[in-house]
Amino acid sequence: MNRRVLLVGSLIVVPLLVFLALSFGKDPRAIESPLIDAPAPGFALFDLDGQPVDLAELRGQPVMINFWATWCQPCIVEHPALQAAARRYEGRAHFIGIVYQDDAALIRSFIASRGGWGRTLLDPDGETAIAFGVYGAPETFFIDADGTVVRKVTGAMGIDFVSGIIEGLL
Amino acid sequence: MSRRLEICGGEIARLTTLLVLLSAVAVIAQPATEVRQDRIGAPDGPPLTGAALESLTEKVSSLMRCPVCQGLSVNDSPTPLASAMKNEVRDMLAAGYSRDQVLEYFEQSYGEFIRLAPHARGFNLTVWLAPLALLAVGIALILRRRREAPGRPAAAAVDPDLAAYREQVRREVGR
Repeated sequence: MNRRVLLVGSLIVVPLLVFLALSFGKDPRAIESPLIDAPAPGFALFDLDGQPVDLAELRGQPVMINFWATWCQPCIVEHPALQAAARRYEGRAHFIGIVYQDDAALIRSFIASRGGWGRTLLDPDGETAIAFGVYGAPETFFIDADGTVVRKVTGAMGIDFVSGIIEGLL
Repeated sequence: MSRRLEICGGEIARLTTLLVLLSAVAVIAQPATEVRQDRIGAPDGPPLTGAALESLTEKVSSLMRCPVCQGLSVNDSPTPLASAMKNEVRDMLAAGYSRDQVLEYFEQSYGEFIRLAPHARGFNLTVWLAPLALLAVGIALILRRRREAPGRPAAAAVDPDLAAYREQVRREVGR
């Protein structure tokens, strides 16, 4: 009788333990992007100067697209790293910031006081953020020279981390 | 004459501004449409408007999970992201995309996570089948117990080691 209870109990408990063990180390709130290894969703947005920027025209060089906002603390933390990366890879990679749920005036003021990096684009209806599956800030997408999304990073990044990814795409 | 020229000039300036704005809207709108075309093809149905559009927008966004909430649908969530997503749903339905096309479009951005009710296939079938399997096991156990109960002798009576003690108790109580 005890052996039977043990067997039935094991049949129920062991699969549950395996399922839980497989989930260790994963952020339950992180959403895996289905865009990895897929073509990046196209966009044509205006920058802060009113100039249109079409993603298709950036082909030929790696592109880093960072969704950010002035209300987002990790975005402020990673700002110097992105400035440094944009300087380091100037002419070899494109650095695009897309404003996520923020006001253009606040973005202009932020850049005026802290300096900018790359080109900052406005996405007033959030259509581009939705097309990329963005659900928070900062979220960063690395796109290779052929326009394929190779990596998505959620949260603030350091200069070495960004450089490591960009170097792999050059 | 100069007054007429001035009015004419003003209208030309307004028209020019309008054309620039329309061009800007066209530049912005085209890629969004292209992304939709690339992902889900042409709209399946006719464009919707009015009450029918609003009703279907609510139904479809009720099937979508708000990515920044705890168990809330896009329709129920007050967050800015959910509002933007609901607007996108409305735009797509207004353009003639079907319910399934809209869900497929969002799934290609956010993965299956976006569906409050995931596809009933593969590992997901567990969600549908596990409760039924547990119910079946429960019913089987109950039926087995009921079948065994009437004919089952008392536990103490079948245990020969306890027979002597039972007899002793019976004698002492009887005395």
